[in-house]
Amino acid sequence: MKIYLCAGAAALALLATTASAAELKFKPGEDKRLNWASYEDFKKAHGDLKGQTLNIFGPWRGDDEVLFQSVLAYFADATGINVKYASSENYEQQIVIDTQAGSPPDIAILPQPGLYADLAAKGFLVPLGDETAKWVKDNYGAGESWVGYGTYKGKDGASAYFAFPYKADLKSMVWYVPENFEEAGYKVPETMEDLFKLSDQIVKDGSTPWCIGLGSGGATGWPATDWVEDLMLRLNTPETYDKWVSNEIKFNDPKVVAAIEEFGKFAKNGKYVDGGVAAVASTDFRDSPKGLFGIPPKCYMHRQASFVPSFFPEGTKLGTDADFFYLPTYASKPELGKPVLGAGTLVSLTKDTKPARAFLEFLKTPIAHEVWMAQSSFLTPYKAAKPEAYANDTMRREGEILTTATSFRFDGSDLMPGKIGAGAFWTGMVDYVGGKSGEAVATDIQKAWDGLK
Amino acid sequence: MNIAQSIRRTGFPRLFVHAAVLVIAILWLLPTLGILVSSLRDKDQITVSGWWTAFSGSAQTEAVRLGDASSQKQDGTGFVIAGSLFDGGKTVTGFGTRVQEPNAYPAGEAVDIGNGETLKILGDGTYEYRKATSFEGDRGKRVYLTVMTPPAFTLDNYRTVVNAEGIGKAFINSLTVTIPATIIPILIAAFAAYALAWMEFPGRAILIAVVVGLIVVPLQMSLIPLLKMYNQIGMFFGVPSKTYAGIWLAHTAFGMPLAIYLLRNYIAGLPKEIIESARVDGATDFEIFIKIVLPLSFPALASFAIFQFLWVWNDLLIAMVFLGTAKDQLVLTGALNALLGSRGGNWEILTASAFITILVPLFVFFALQRYLVRGLLAGSVKGG
Amino acid sequence: MAGQIVSAVGIMIAGVFACAAYYWLSDRLLNMALPVRGRDIVTASRNLNRRSVIRPWLFLGPALLLLAIYLVYPVIATLILSFYDRAGTTFVGLDNYRWALFDREFRQSIFNNVLWLAVVPAACTFLGLVIAVLTDRIWWGNIAKSIVFMPMAISFVGASVIWKFIYEYRGTGTQIGLLNAVVTFFGGDPQVWIALPFWNNFALMVILIWIQTGFAMVILSAALRGIPEETIEAAVIDGANGWQIFWKIMVPQIWGTIAVVWTTITILVLKVFDIVLTMTNGQWDTMVLANLMFDWMFRGGGDSGRAAVIALVIMAAVTPIMVWNIRQANRENGGH
Repeated sequence: MKIYLCAGAAALALLATTASAAELKFKPGEDKRLNWASYEDFKKAHGDLKGQTLNIFGPWRGDDEVLFQSVLAYFADATGINVKYASSENYEQQIVIDTQAGSPPDIAILPQPGLYADLAAKGFLVPLGDETAKWVKDNYGAGESWVGYGTYKGKDGASAYFAFPYKADLKSMVWYVPENFEEAGYKVPETMEDLFKLSDQIVKDGSTPWCIGLGSGGATGWPATDWVEDLMLRLNTPETYDKWVSNEIKFNDPKVVAAIEEFGKFAKNGKYVDGGVAAVASTDFRDSPKGLFGIPPKCYMHRQASFVPSFFPEGTKLGTDADFFYLPTYASKPELGKPVLGAGTLVSLTKDTKPARAFLEFLKTPIAHEVWMAQSSFLTPYKAAKPEAYANDTMRREGEILTTATSFRFDGSDLMPGKIGAGAFWTGMVDYVGGKSGEAVATDIQKAWDGLK
Repeated sequence: MNIAQSIRRTGFPRLFVHAAVLVIAILWLLPTLGILVSSLRDKDQITVSGWWTAFSGSAQTEAVRLGDASSQKQDGTGFVIAGSLFDGGKTVTGFGTRVQEPNAYPAGEAVDIGNGETLKILGDGTYEYRKATSFEGDRGKRVYLTVMTPPAFTLDNYRTVVNAEGIGKAFINSLTVTIPATIIPILIAAFAAYALAWMEFPGRAILIAVVVGLIVVPLQMSLIPLLKMYNQIGMFFGVPSKTYAGIWLAHTAFGMPLAIYLLRNYIAGLPKEIIESARVDGATDFEIFIKIVLPLSFPALASFAIFQFLWVWNDLLIAMVFLGTAKDQLVLTGALNALLGSRGGNWEILTASAFITILVPLFVFFALQRYLVRGLLAGSVKGG
Repeated sequence: MAGQIVSAVGIMIAGVFACAAYYWLSDRLLNMALPVRGRDIVTASRNLNRRSVIRPWLFLGPALLLLAIYLVYPVIATLILSFYDRAGTTFVGLDNYRWALFDREFRQSIFNNVLWLAVVPAACTFLGLVIAVLTDRIWWGNIAKSIVFMPMAISFVGASVIWKFIYEYRGTGTQIGLLNAVVTFFGGDPQVWIALPFWNNFALMVILIWIQTGFAMVILSAALRGIPEETIEAAVIDGANGWQIFWKIMVPQIWGTIAVVWTTITILVLKVFDIVLTMTNGQWDTMVLANLMFDWMFRGGGDSGRAAVIALVIMAAVTPIMVWNIRQANRENGGH
């Protein structure tokens, strides 16, 4: 046994290679859209950490990983810290295993507040401190809401602030091809009533208004939960939404069933959806938006979060070839204002080390946001990050919705207990589209919730 | 003379055998062929048309943009935007200006598209877009083409995968994990299997049953307690807890029950006379094992080796947990997995990497197949 | 890179060598500690006896040690966890077991697992045997074998991608899934194969059969080659036809191997996980026990108590196979 361990250790020492600092994407001081002052200030304040190591575990892979590495390069350049980033397809599982077994990374980045609440309750997270909470509250659009989504009960039962939001997604968006609208003479609808009228018009013209795809392999069904959440916020107050998410209002409450049935008006109307109702549950959400770009188009509209352009055909220019409009609200319910539904990744400290704290400070500089904004697929509610830094107008419009939001609501399925938000809710929506009634599906989900302890 | 020949003599309709095997082979090959063809296709095409259509040229409709107003030139009294829509290889057969009628006009004709504009698109993709007054607006006009595309295959997907950073290192990491994790369990299991098959000791039957029962222990349940133990050992000795030795032992242990089970059954079936006569000649169990049992068990050892090799080679979970997730520790499956976007679904990378990962196991299979054939000779010694 | 290869090869050799050295050295040590040569006959025979008592445990030692640490210890930990609550801190008695009795999803999983157990091992073994027999008789048999074996080399995730392209369903326009393309070619209606409750289980099973038949084939083919030719020649002389030779001579001769293959695949089926996870994640009524356990274990922090109960059910399901193996081993014991 010991022989093996020694051999292994020796091997690791031999095999370990130091990651070379990646090149900086934008030369400090050059691109005037970016806030270089914040970078220089951070550099001055954190020069004493040279040679230390910081392990970060996050959800980003592929292109996103490349983008995140480009941000990390600035952190590494400013502090001299050796940053190691890792991710995994099974990141959720990996973080549970690593924290419970006692070998966590320094920093964990996850998109699920629900999972964080669980990790915090088991004592695996380090509180970030009231100062950081206050900073988020003051500097983020709808800061109060963001702080709420990062606050959980610790092992001692007391609430503390644990997770710092970095990179947000906006959910309430309908994507369309402007020229298809122009050619057919359609106008972007301002109210939900108009949206239904437009859908009927498209049907009358012999086309199909919507592409809806719920397929996502092991996570099939989740795109429908976004629909229901968006509609919940358009039919009810944000407070009702919060109560629904925490199960103070039962899942089979008439209000929730109404939102599910409202979604059914789109997804269960064979004339509204491309491929008919049967295709909704099985079409992959990554393939679904491609219908917008069919010739002739398979559909005219697609409701999906801000990440979806990465699944548009290659070469699609945002703003020209494709654009979005805000999923409208009901004219009959003006008192609800314009709610914003979103999601985001939250950064937490799984070890209280100096490099980890420095990284948290780094995320408070505008530059940490702008470097990613200026490339692609990054939105931030951080008000000091310059909107000019966004790579295109579409992203800028999305970003403005986030920074100017007064009330922001997080994706409810990420807040519910895992077995519901990433289980019964998904399955329920698949069953619903498959023919079950909204009432029956909601009752099933509530039963599953009751079954949790 | 072998079995095949003797059966052949019985007059089994040979044509039927050939046909049956051919059908089976095709059925088994089709799915793999599908992914091979898909991996050679353009990534936007994979989800648009069936892979079996890739071999024939196809008529497709595409949307393209003409040059924008800034590229217009004055031509006599009117204005013209001219250029080419693509570089060769394809032929335009028709075009249209409305998305609902993408094939309204034949190629090569100048047509009036309203607004006093005329458009002519030739088969080779060059176009002339004319108007009496100057063009305005900052985006080029969108037109729709029906193009005949010859069958086109690309190695781009493979290029993306092979050129990805760290793939070479991941490949070596994978070999470093896989080879010992295949050989060590065979060695350990073969000794244990021999003991369970040919040595007399109390509790043998129960031990066999327990080993069989352990095959079914769900891996996921053991990860947390084991990693906890690794971390404690690591801390105690002051060595890293995630090492190659650690992952070899983990794979060895997880493969052990199946290895013992398969090998014991084979070794127990070896002819009793050979082993007993060796014992009478005064050979120790160690000698019997090394000189007689091991060589005779080659087919079983090779079968298990293939099995274990594949399992370790394709594993992602254990490698991630026991070897770590940092860039320089990734095995091939991990490195390929990291290429997929955060939301997955990059079919072009999935298909290409499926083929790259399959190469080494196939090589192993062909290498060991010779030994499986050699098992034929060993088997002829066997008395049944 | 070259340095890494050298060091990798180095530690590989060291690891394997250390392992081999253990057996050789421990055997030498045993022989030295209990010498036979040059001793009086009483001591010699006593030492010989002692050697034969100790030696099995030297042979079994490393295997048992590994099994104890990596498999038995987690099983015990699981057993204990099954009496505790979701965080593993409060004792809850039999609550988790009671939950399992009444959970709809749990019953669904048991039903599906039984379905898998009934179909997959039988199909794989039968197909593997037929292919092994047929390919032994034609000149391009090895090519055909390689083709059938090839899916074994593909990872489960890769395999799932492959089959996704087969089951893919498009509501309108041309089908890009092979199965639906064939169905529409013959004038049928395309189906959403993986979302048809009950039948979708078979769609998933086909994937595992496709993968595992190669395994059955390789092992059975090796066993078939071990059948002494005289047996078959004798049958041929007696005028038996190919069909009779297959059922009356070959199958009984390799019956032991068939049982082994069947058992191995049965156990694999109990652990089937990746295919269901990547294809459906248990939706549309395809949940199986291993996935249900994974769900309770890791989704959003999970519930280790319930996951433990499911794990124990999976382990308990193997009991009949264990009993059969004890009988088998006892019978061999009697024979020796």
